[in-house]
Amino acid sequence: MSSFTVPRTVSRTAVALFVLWAASFALSYAHLGAASLLVALAIAAAKAALVVMFFMELVSESLSMKLTLAAAGGLLAILVGLMAADVATREPPPLLPPTREPAAHEPAPAEPGVPSR
Amino acid sequence: MTAARSVEHAEHFESLERQAHAARLGMWVFLATEVLLFGAAFALFLTYQVQFSHAFRAGVAHNTKVLGSVNTAVLLLSSTLVACAVHALRRGDAKLAARLVGGTIALGLTFLVIKGIEYGKHFDEGIYPGGVGHYFTLHPIRGLAAFWTLYFGMTALHALHVTIGAGVLGVLLHAIVRGRLGRETAYRLEVGAIYWHLVDVIWIFLWPLFYLA
Repeated sequence: MSSFTVPRTVSRTAVALFVLWAASFALSYAHLGAASLLVALAIAAAKAALVVMFFMELVSESLSMKLTLAAAGGLLAILVGLMAADVATREPPPLLPPTREPAAHEPAPAEPGVPSR
Repeated sequence: MTAARSVEHAEHFESLERQAHAARLGMWVFLATEVLLFGAAFALFLTYQVQFSHAFRAGVAHNTKVLGSVNTAVLLLSSTLVACAVHALRRGDAKLAARLVGGTIALGLTFLVIKGIEYGKHFDEGIYPGGVGHYFTLHPIRGLAAFWTLYFGMTALHALHVTIGAGVLGVLLHAIVRGRLGRETAYRLEVGAIYWHLVDVIWIFLWPLFYLA
């Protein structure tokens, strides 16, 4: 039976992942308001980077693999970024018809529903 | 490489090394398409999140946070095990590799069981996809149905990937036990493990969106 020791890269990555997991869980109880989603996603991105680089071993892969993943990531960033930017900067839909102050010489508009004589 | 010569490579490849490289590149290209599939779903989520942030915060606050967080730990541990399995097989320890892959599959199934328990809890509360259920009549918040529909859709799509990943690892485990996968052909387990890691990465993003923030 050969003695197997867990490679240091794997053990360190695992420890880092669980530390980030605990940090993310603990931070969800802190009331960070609107920043909480950004903080949680930033931690998630760090965890994903650790998994991709050291568990999936992208760090020691050839340039063609790195380019394949970089292209996927870049296209994804464009897709999500533009969609979110569009929705976030939209004008709110008009819920009421635009109203206009009556000019001084105009007669007051008739009450709705009351027929004018 | 003397080790590489002892195992036959496919006719159309110069060497086993080239064959392993092609297999890995093929998996990475496939993963890129998976990223685009889930990317579209994430874009949809963020669009609704921006529009109905109040409803989405209410949805997250009501979700089964502890079970979801335990499931995250389960997947992180499973990724660690399968990463160890690849290293063990590369060193020729097929027995240990088989145990570690078996452990990974068991954790994958644990994840699915916990997910099922979560779904059961939601159904008990009257939360179904599409805004169906009495929960939505009790909580008439605009956008709440969108949150739960996205939750069911995206987590079910992910659970399907966990199932496929566990199946792939099961086939690889069978090959290791039968002696068809060893030190020289460890790249096959590597390719399966890469897929498993991607499933983990997707959950790493689903967890904060649906349970934390």
